[in-house]
Amino acid sequence: MIIRTEDLSVYYGYKNILKDVNVTFEKNKITAIIGPSGCGKTTFLKSLNRTIEEYGGKTEGNIYLNNEDIMNIPVQKLRNRIGMVFQTPVVFPFSIYKNMTYAPIYYGERNSQKLKETALKYLKIAGLYEEVKGDLDMQATKLSGGQQQRLVIARCLTVNPEVILLDEPCSALDIKNTANIESMLLELKKDYTIIIVTHNLAQAKRIADYVIYMEDGTVVEMGKTDDIFDCPLDSRTKEYITYMKN
Amino acid sequence: MRAKELMFKFWVILSGIIITVITFGLFLYILYKGIGVVTPEFIIGSPKGIPLGTQGGVFPAIMGSILSGLISGILGGVLGLCTAIYLNYYCKNEIIRKYILNALQCLAGIPSVVIGLFGYTFLVVGLGISKSLLSASITLTVMIIPFISIRMKKALEETSKEQYISSLSLGIPKGYTIVKLIIPSAFKYIMTSLGLGTVFAMGATAPIMYTGVVIVSGVPGKLTDPFMALPYHLYILVNEGLSVEMAYGTAFVLIVIVLFINIACHFTGKNEDV
Ligand SMILES: Nc1ncnc2c1ncn2[C@@H]1O[C@H](COP(=O)(O)OP(=O)(O)O)[C@@H](O)[C@H]1O
Ligand SMILES: [Mg+2]
Repeated sequence: MIIRTEDLSVYYGYKNILKDVNVTFEKNKITAIIGPSGCGKTTFLKSLNRTIEEYGGKTEGNIYLNNEDIMNIPVQKLRNRIGMVFQTPVVFPFSIYKNMTYAPIYYGERNSQKLKETALKYLKIAGLYEEVKGDLDMQATKLSGGQQQRLVIARCLTVNPEVILLDEPCSALDIKNTANIESMLLELKKDYTIIIVTHNLAQAKRIADYVIYMEDGTVVEMGKTDDIFDCPLDSRTKEYITYMKN
Repeated sequence: MRAKELMFKFWVILSGIIITVITFGLFLYILYKGIGVVTPEFIIGSPKGIPLGTQGGVFPAIMGSILSGLISGILGGVLGLCTAIYLNYYCKNEIIRKYILNALQCLAGIPSVVIGLFGYTFLVVGLGISKSLLSASITLTVMIIPFISIRMKKALEETSKEQYISSLSLGIPKGYTIVKLIIPSAFKYIMTSLGLGTVFAMGATAPIMYTGVVIVSGVPGKLTDPFMALPYHLYILVNEGLSVEMAYGTAFVLIVIVLFINIACHFTGKNEDV
């Protein structure tokens, strides 16, 4: 178990978005979070690396990363350990190469040989290297949507996080790019813990080890992927899954 | 319905044509009227003749305008950029943010002659800084601050909230994100706002009238020297009935400088590797 939340509640002003969420995430597994839109999935991800505060959200309760209360970890260190990828690919308006070296340079790497090694290493892991190797100086915004999303994941890996949060990373992508990212995630889970929000139940089935079903700011059910899909304990989970199938 | 559509389209196109014709017409007219007196002597010489200004050139006014424009452009640029950064990234309190934005709106609405009066009372009389390049530039800065701040704020918004959060999510602090991601992304717009601010300051007469500009002087050698400026020189030439011809020459020079600054800023922004 790498992350555990304890009675986590989140507020935007007086609006209570998450209510007493108690969940755990296993190390080196993929956990998928599913649920109707507006139920608080994005809010939940944002609270795990405290970016929720940048949106004016307030949290109550506790979140533990390796049994350490995240409030006791300096916020930059926490965000370094828990990376985040958004729904729409968020490349920086720089070259591909500069996207990849942006964080390593901040962390003090000045040796251009080492920078290049890091950049290439993670581009390879993200399966992007072969496609862009001749064009590292190209503007990242000129890549296709799927390539941009893989670049964003590669960029996230450059700071060597322990956990990667992905918020519906494939919802803007076609089938081929989605398949690319899915196989990458299955590869990545050997070294990282992955938490992915998805509204694509088939995707959750394909890649997730565990599934969390949320509704209206609460966790209805969590369990092994097969259990959740084949024999959900809660009637609300069952309803949602049946509804999404049709 | 179809007739209405056509009329609307006609009106839109006509408006476009009117604006273009006015802009180019004005421009060409000034160039046409001015080109006769614009000789090398006019550009690098000082006002001569009796009364002064009927002959000679406008070099001290060119330098005065460029210097006061640049100083206030840079001061206003730095202040405006910092204000914008504060508003967008550091101000957590919605009431304070609204208050500052309103203050900027109000400042933008103050007539420039009133800002000139304020500059005179506060800087020249109050603080005892002489009528000089410094007092005038500070007064011009006050005038262009709202203009620049609002534009800088828009420029920073080139970086989406998601890009900003993505950078934070790499464990990178706010300050570094602003300097290395947000400002470079907005560099082109920052340069254009700076240019527009400078040009706005260079064209203003009222704020400098009581704070630093004089009818005749040399090129200012230090910040505390009084100076000549093109728009004020033009004003004097016409107002005192000295020479409408020389006034057009002065306008010509002013317009060319303004155009040059705009183009320069445009290209500086373009070539930045981001
Ligand atoms: N910045 C915000 N301020 C106020 N309310 C918000 C904000 N962001 C999201 N919400 C609200 O929080 C609820 C949950 O949103 P979100 O976490 O984005 O849901 P999901 O990702 O499951 O679709 C929604 O009702 C949404 O309107
Ligand atoms: Mg969402």
